[in-house]
Amino acid sequence: MPQPVKFILNWGRRYSLWVMNFGLACCAIELIATSTSKHDFIRLGVIPFAHGPRQADMLVVAGTLTDKMAPALKRVYDQIPDPKYVISFGSCSNCGGPYWDSYSVTKGVDQIVPVDVYVPGCPPRPEALLHGIIKLQEKIGKEDIREKWSGKLTQPEPSFTY
Amino acid sequence: MASSPSQNPLSPTEIIERLRAQFGQDVVRGEEVHGHAVVTVTPGRYHEMATFLRDEPDLDFDFFDFLTGVDFTPKGRGFDAVTHVYSTGHNHHARLKVECDAERPHCPTISDVWPGANWFERETAELFGIDFDGHPHLVKLVLPEQFEGHPLRKDFALMSREAKPWPGAVEGEEIDE
Repeated sequence: MPQPVKFILNWGRRYSLWVMNFGLACCAIELIATSTSKHDFIRLGVIPFAHGPRQADMLVVAGTLTDKMAPALKRVYDQIPDPKYVISFGSCSNCGGPYWDSYSVTKGVDQIVPVDVYVPGCPPRPEALLHGIIKLQEKIGKEDIREKWSGKLTQPEPSFTY
Repeated sequence: MASSPSQNPLSPTEIIERLRAQFGQDVVRGEEVHGHAVVTVTPGRYHEMATFLRDEPDLDFDFFDFLTGVDFTPKGRGFDAVTHVYSTGHNHHARLKVECDAERPHCPTISDVWPGANWFERETAELFGIDFDGHPHLVKLVLPEQFEGHPLRKDFALMSREAKPWPGAVEGEEIDE
């Protein structure tokens, strides 16, 4: 694909990110704070909040994911149409965080869905999420659209059952 | 039901004396902890004591607060089931303990005395492996259905800690000194 076309397409996509709110714990409050007027991620083209996974471009997992909740996350992720992106927000969703030795907490959402950007913190400040969004937009800007839109990267495994 | 708030709640000592007078030797221990009466009862009269606490007008424990378990197996004992109850009429608290053996911990249900105990007993059953005899629906409440083991028992193996031991003080060290 010619470079200018690729640039224009990616430029359009990176500034129109409908976000799916997957708030699970206290990090969700920071995510919501980022969406409100003071931090205002709409100025970066992130639109709060998609009415459902089928209208979303991006999934922000904010909070503690438990093994019992994990199938629900997988289901939401599979419902989002390609191309789709995931931001893992906070220590719990990155790696389990303070619950690193828990019997019930999933040690990182990247065990369930592929993650594009990790935002560290417990919880991270809204500025950290803004930075993560900018990092994601840089990533989108460099993407090969044909590969990303093919769905090959994110298709659920045929054997997966809920 | 109390008609009006009591100005004179029973003191922990009075509650323990009241129970000793009624249940005699079946009150294994009675002590005051943090301003609350804490009574250990034999499993045989546990249910009867719960009913007594609820129905006596001067005790009137109408509010079930919580029920949980304590694992004493590292101390050479079994499990305790602990019930905390409160009287909204008299504004006094009590904790009711019943000792269960380590091999097959079980005790009677009190979910028919205070319906609020129903889910707490299910939770205690799955997390500590204590069976509540006579419970109407003793299945898992918070754990996934396929979960194996009782995670709040001291001998439950945490896989993360098998790989990397707990970096701080080992549980119980502080209590022993």
